[in-house]
Amino acid sequence: MFLNIKDLSVDLGQFHLKNVNLSLEKNDYLVLIGPTGSGKSVLLETIAGFFSPYKGKIFLEGKDITNLKPEKRGISIVYQDYVLFPNMNVYENIAYGLKKKLDDKELIESKILNLAKLLKIDHLLDRNPETLSGGEKQRTAIARSLIVEPNILLMDEPFSALDINTQAFLTELIKNVMKEYQTTCIHVSHNFNDVWSLAEQVAVLNDGIILQQGRVTDVFSKPSHNFVADFVGVHNIFEGKVIKESKGISDVQINNDLVLHSSDTYSGKDMPVMVAIRPENIVFSNKPFISSIRNQLKGLITDVMHIGPTVWIEVDIKGNAFKGIITPSSSDLLGIKKGKEIYLSFKSVNVKIIDGNDSFKSLMQ
Amino acid sequence: MIIMRSKLEIIFISISFIFTAFLFVIIGSIFIIPSPDGFLQSIFSEEMVTALKLTLSTSILAAFFVMIIAIPTAYSFSRYSFPLKNILKSILDLPIAFPEIVLGIALLMIFGNRFLGPFLNNLGIDIIFTTTGIIIAQFFVALPYAVRILYSTFNYVNPRYEFVSRSLGYGEFETFRKITIPLAKGGIFASSVVTLARCIGTFAAVLLVGGGTYLKTETLSIAIYYNLSLGNIDAAITASILLVIISFIAIFLLEKYAHENIEGIG
Ligand SMILES: Nc1ncnc2c1ncn2[C@@H]1O[C@H](COP(=O)(O)OP(=O)(O)OP(=O)(O)O)[C@@H](O)[C@H]1O
Ligand SMILES: [Mg+2]
Repeated sequence: MFLNIKDLSVDLGQFHLKNVNLSLEKNDYLVLIGPTGSGKSVLLETIAGFFSPYKGKIFLEGKDITNLKPEKRGISIVYQDYVLFPNMNVYENIAYGLKKKLDDKELIESKILNLAKLLKIDHLLDRNPETLSGGEKQRTAIARSLIVEPNILLMDEPFSALDINTQAFLTELIKNVMKEYQTTCIHVSHNFNDVWSLAEQVAVLNDGIILQQGRVTDVFSKPSHNFVADFVGVHNIFEGKVIKESKGISDVQINNDLVLHSSDTYSGKDMPVMVAIRPENIVFSNKPFISSIRNQLKGLITDVMHIGPTVWIEVDIKGNAFKGIITPSSSDLLGIKKGKEIYLSFKSVNVKIIDGNDSFKSLMQ
Repeated sequence: MIIMRSKLEIIFISISFIFTAFLFVIIGSIFIIPSPDGFLQSIFSEEMVTALKLTLSTSILAAFFVMIIAIPTAYSFSRYSFPLKNILKSILDLPIAFPEIVLGIALLMIFGNRFLGPFLNNLGIDIIFTTTGIIIAQFFVALPYAVRILYSTFNYVNPRYEFVSRSLGYGEFETFRKITIPLAKGGIFASSVVTLARCIGTFAAVLLVGGGTYLKTETLSIAIYYNLSLGNIDAAITASILLVIISFIAIFLLEKYAHENIEGIG
């Protein structure tokens, strides 16, 4: 394990981080999600060394860094509000950390130029940070943190203050830069697209507790906890591609050639997309019926869970796990039980194609 | 175009006009009253020159010490939590609320021949009725003001600037020097000016602790008081004019410089 956080507990009076366990391999990209006030920022700042835990340990490459000073950890941080030093220009901002590590002026300059080109800010180097656009500021802040080749790069909602187009542009850029600057990364985000396009790992934090950590598809398709399911808001997420589009209906092919119909139009034919169906939009029946509903699929019930006043049903259709939610009385009426054959129906409007710019919020609407 | 103003607007604007104008007339009156001859005579008198030099030198020194103490004090109030912090803050605010003369008496007691006085005397340090005493009095009078301004200055400096600097490899002290101080520059300048003005204007505490000895520990404000009580109006007014000019320069610098720099705090 490259980064290993064990039982980390922080006491801030009103707020506590409780027994946080988190582990990352070198060059992993972890996206940390969680509701506001759940302690995401506190966790990042504890990893960086600004809060002292009263319990637990942080290991970096097997070395205990729990009580190491922030400046000795080699962990850089990028904030949502950029915090560029206003008394320095863009170049000096980026050079700040590097000057501490290197003496060779020419080397510093060439490194900065190289990274600035990658981040497309090489034309801004002598500008005052106040005169930059939000996206330019954030690229500068990322350059400042990345230039020192940190052990870990922490990013606290780096794109939240930016408009959607800039977010998409930066996400792509970050992906490319990360390829070049192999870096282990923890990225706090509220945005579905960040998770989908950047993350290898997802961790979910709620009220100071890590509820789940794992591969993106695992966490989203098998939420271990009701909260995760609630937070993600969408339980049926499948990777696929649009194979046909006509008359306002897109045919999306997912795992094992299963085709779903969506009324979302999507122009990028054969491009990988994700589709999402909310569990409550799935209608269950014992027989197929004639209706205007475009998606009717037969499957096998693999799991039935009673959670509070609801019944969750998991159905396997050609190796794809669909989840639906019904009331206990409907469950009784249909005779829902494990191993039973069942029909699933859902309207094409309820099959959402997720592309670059959708956030959790828009999915939940 | 006729701008219609509401009643409240008219009343409030009038109030601000009338009383500011009145204050201006009050201050201006001291420039009108003296006879030019009397003014020229007193401004170059030995007493006035000595008082001016003494006031400026003690005030600059006192203000310097105030800043050295106020910066770490205000910074720790702003950034750290520690036991008794709120009590310390209240104690520091006390001198703003109670009369300066009370502070003067207290200083006289502690440095006189009761508590610290004899002890310091043995070390060869005289405080009462010396310029050292003046500096100490000015120091305690001005310190609370400096701490207050700097406290809000540091509150405005987002600690995340410091976090970023630390995360990029700079230690606490270096970060303070390279990031915190430059970002607080405007507030540090403003509080220096206010501190200096406060030191220059101190009267009661300086009179009690310094003794106000003619040509020795007589500052400008003490000179006003002495000359006035001796019926020497010209000299009193001359000293006042000097004080007003110094204040104007201070305020001018403050407005000009602070506006340029306070924005950087963000
Ligand atoms: N220095 C501090 N002292 C005391 N409490 C703090 C401190 N910093 C944060 N908190 C509290 O800790 C809790 C978690 O804050 P945190 O900023 O980590 O939330 P977050 O998950 O990042 O939320 P958001 O998504 O809104 O950024 C909050 O209740 C906050 O008030
Ligand atoms: Mg936060």
